[in-house]
Parts: sequence; structure tokens; C-alpha cells
Amino acid sequence: MLSIALTELIQIFRNRLVLLNSFIIPVAVCAFFVFKHETFADLRSLGYIAAVVMFTVTAFGLYATTVTTLASRRQTLFLKRLRSTPASDVSILSGLVLPVTVLGLVQVGAILAVLAAVAGKPDNALLLAAAVVSTVVMMLALGLATAGLTNSPEHAQVTTLPVSLGAIAVTNWVAITGTGELTLLKRLLPGGSATELVLNAWNGGVPVADSLLLLLPTLSWVIVSAALASRLFRWEPRR
Amino acid sequence: MTSTPVIDVDRLSISYGDFHAVKDLTFQVNKGELYALLGTNGAGKTSTLEIIEGHRTATSGTVRVFGRSPRDRQAVRHRMGIMLQESGFSPDLTVRESVQLIGKLSRRTDRVERVLGVVDLTHKSAIRVSQLSGGEKRRLDFATAVYGNPELIFLDEPTTGLDIQSRDALWDAVDKLREDGSTIVLTTHYLEEAQQRADRIGLMHMGAFHQQGTVAELTRTLPAAVRFFLPAGAPALPLQATREADGAFLIKTFGLQKDLHILLGWAHANAVELGELQAGPTRLDDVFRAIGTA
Repeated sequence: MLSIALTELIQIFRNRLVLLNSFIIPVAVCAFFVFKHETFADLRSLGYIAAVVMFTVTAFGLYATTVTTLASRRQTLFLKRLRSTPASDVSILSGLVLPVTVLGLVQVGAILAVLAAVAGKPDNALLLAAAVVSTVVMMLALGLATAGLTNSPEHAQVTTLPVSLGAIAVTNWVAITGTGELTLLKRLLPGGSATELVLNAWNGGVPVADSLLLLLPTLSWVIVSAALASRLFRWEPRR
Repeated sequence: MTSTPVIDVDRLSISYGDFHAVKDLTFQVNKGELYALLGTNGAGKTSTLEIIEGHRTATSGTVRVFGRSPRDRQAVRHRMGIMLQESGFSPDLTVRESVQLIGKLSRRTDRVERVLGVVDLTHKSAIRVSQLSGGEKRRLDFATAVYGNPELIFLDEPTTGLDIQSRDALWDAVDKLREDGSTIVLTTHYLEEAQQRADRIGLMHMGAFHQQGTVAELTRTLPAAVRFFLPAGAPALPLQATREADGAFLIKTFGLQKDLHILLGWAHANAVELGELQAGPTRLDDVFRAIGTA
């Protein structure tokens, strides 16, 4: 798995377009939110900025790159090549998504650390970490499922839009309007409960036990996505 | 060569919906053998190979490789090297990185420099795969397949796109591997390669074996041919002949030496010159062409 991950990391840094679209642009967007944190904090709260940062990186960096990478590796028959070795399917997939996952976690962690440094620490850092990790796992699972529906890297530009834009929209909707109304719907949408968890973790004021329950919808999306991925994912291009 | 079956295929059938790609195929490949799986386009060779390699599951029948299911990757893959029909390398990795990755995953031991030397790609080791020519990619593919001298090697169209020097080098490497005891499964459209190299051939047509056996066994089912032109006014031939479109005479015979002797004796006795005389045993090409007319 680690040898696959290492070569994947090499490829990410050699492909300037991937580096720009998946890592530099999301970081630039997040930097803008951090730089203008007083404006956005006035609009809602610092938790709102944290949620937007997390979903900008995981939707456009992690999720979209996962789908594009897997579609690309399938199209070039690289997946078939890897499956010609004794490596298991799990280790192949883990190796392929490990670099982008680690980079995503580092990005989110670094940006939130900068936000905490310039604007004040979150109320519950552990809860925030749980929100970040569960969101990363959910976006990975959604990425695997979407990769099953994606024929090529070009096709990924279309197939990733519903989830990536949807997640950003849900984040803004939940963070700006709160979950006082349409509570169930907002929490069941992908990213809805994770956004609420980030808000609670950063802003405080909600019992930890109540906040932890918000992990369940996110984990449900992980299970649904993994089930879809196991049905939809293909290792070779369609003939 | 021993008769231990490295590959044991028993009544293999593969269907894609209503389409039966392979029907009831049975064959074995023994240790140390070079077995060529040949066939017409769409005959089912690739489907069969992919089942044996463990990339797909059979619709029915059983396939055993080293006595195990080929789907049991942990148990069998480290013992086999696979040269795919299409490249499957990442364009952004260098030649060296590609060999290193597949070599490491293969769980076999070897030196990257050695295998790159075998395919004459040492000087390209720092070049990205995207910058290689088609022939160089085939050689890289071969390098990864033979990394660590696996016991079983699948060569799917290994010489397509290679120049003559590269082909010779590749076959030299295959000969060396066979000396070391490797078993080879080959598919190719270059029939002369199969004719020269294969111990046994499975000739597929429309999902089933049309014929299977050694080159001699396959070719003995068809007559040899003698072809020549005759000058105007030549006397009647001593043997049954047909006339081809270009005016040449064609004699088909199962007794080439005897009939050639008769023909040459007749030509000498009648002072007739046999123009552009060609005579030879049946070739694999002839067996292949006969499939369509069978």
C-alpha cells in the first residue's frame, strides 16, 4: 500500500493541473475566508468559517481529486496493472487515496490552526477533530461511489459537481440558517450534520453528547456510499 | 519437461449476457511449456486469458493455476508475471519508478537495472512513461512481467510494435526464462513466432478450440502446396493441379516429397521449366486460413 501511495504522491506533485485545482485553489479560497474572518464572523460565526473551510477542501480537494484519480487510473489501465500483482483490492485503493487524504487532512488542519491563531480557539478541539475525520471518511466513500459512475477524468468534471457543489450549498444553508427549521432534512443531507457539528465544536453552547449524535448521519452516508461503491466501482474501462 | 499442470482449465465457459464468448474450453499447460493461444478476432482468447490471470470470473467451469483458484491473488500472483495487451502504466511515472512499483508489489526479488538491461531501457530509466514510444512501452511491460523470473509468464501480443532487434532480444530473454524453468502462455498475431516457439498451440475460433496440439499435429491435417507457372504449350501435368487467378498451377499433396519427385521428373523429361517454383510444408498460416472455410 505504501509503495502505491508513494508513487501516487509523486504523480500529484508532477501534475501541475491536479496540484492547482485540487490543492492550491481550495487553500486560496480558505485563506480568503480566514483573512476576512471578521466579516464572516459578523455574518454568522467563526464556526461558519471553519465549516466552509472544511467542506471547500474536502469537496474540491479530496472528493473531486479522488474521483478524478480513480477514473484516470482506470482509463490508463493502471488499476488493472496493479491488480496483476498480489496486492489486494483494499491495499490498492488505500494506496491510491492515501496521499490525497493525508494532504486534505493536513490542509484542513493547517487552515483551522491558522484560523484559531488569528481569531480564537475552538470551544472543543476534539469534537472538531471528530467532525473533520468523519467528513473526510464520508467524502472518500462518496468519491469511491462516484468513481464507479465516472468513465474518465474529463467525465469527472461533470459527475463530481452534484456532490461537491451540493455539499458546499448544504454547508452554507445549515451554517447561515441554522437547524431550527427543517431540522431532519438539513441533518440528513450530506454535510448537514457535519456542518452543525463543526458549528457546535467551534462556537460551543451545545452539550457534547447531543453533538456526538450528529456523527450518525455522516456515518450513515459512509455506509450508503460504501455499499454503492461496492456495486458500482469498476477496475477496468467499459468495453 | 515434466507433465505437472501449471494451468488446468476444465470446461470453461464465459458469457456476457446472451453472448457466449467462450464455450466449454478444456486444456492444460505443463511446467516449462510454451503454450500459444491463437485465434481469429473475437475468438475468446483475451477472455480466456483474463480468467486464467484472475482478472475475471468464469460463467461456468473451473480454472486452476498452480492448483489454486487464480482469483486467490495472494497465493498465485507472486508466482506469475503478466504482460498486458495494453500498457497500463502511469504516464507521470518514470521507467524506473514503474518497474520499481510493480516489482515491489510482485513480492519477487530482482534488480531494476537487470530487467531494464534485458529490454534495453537502461538509458531511458529516468524518462517518464508518457515520453516512451509504443515499442518502448511494450518493452517496459515485458520488463515488469519478467521481474524476478516468475514461474509462469503471460505474454499478450508481446512483440506488437517492436522492431526486429527488439523482437529478437525479447525472444532471447524468453528462451533464457524457459531454460530457467518458466512456463509461458503466449498470444500473438505473428503466427511464425508461434510456429517457431510454441510447444503446443490452442487454436480458437468462435469461443471454442478449432484445433489443439503441436505445430506438426496442427499442420498435418492440411496438404502441403506446390506452386509454379508453366510455359505455353507445355504437355499435360502428371498430377492433379488447380489454376490460380494469376495463372499459376497449384498442386496440393499429403506426400510432398513423392509428388515433387514426380513433377520434377516430368519437367526434366519434357524439358519444361517450372517458373517461380515454390514448394513447402503446410504452415500455421494455412491452418489459420482454413478455419474460415471449415
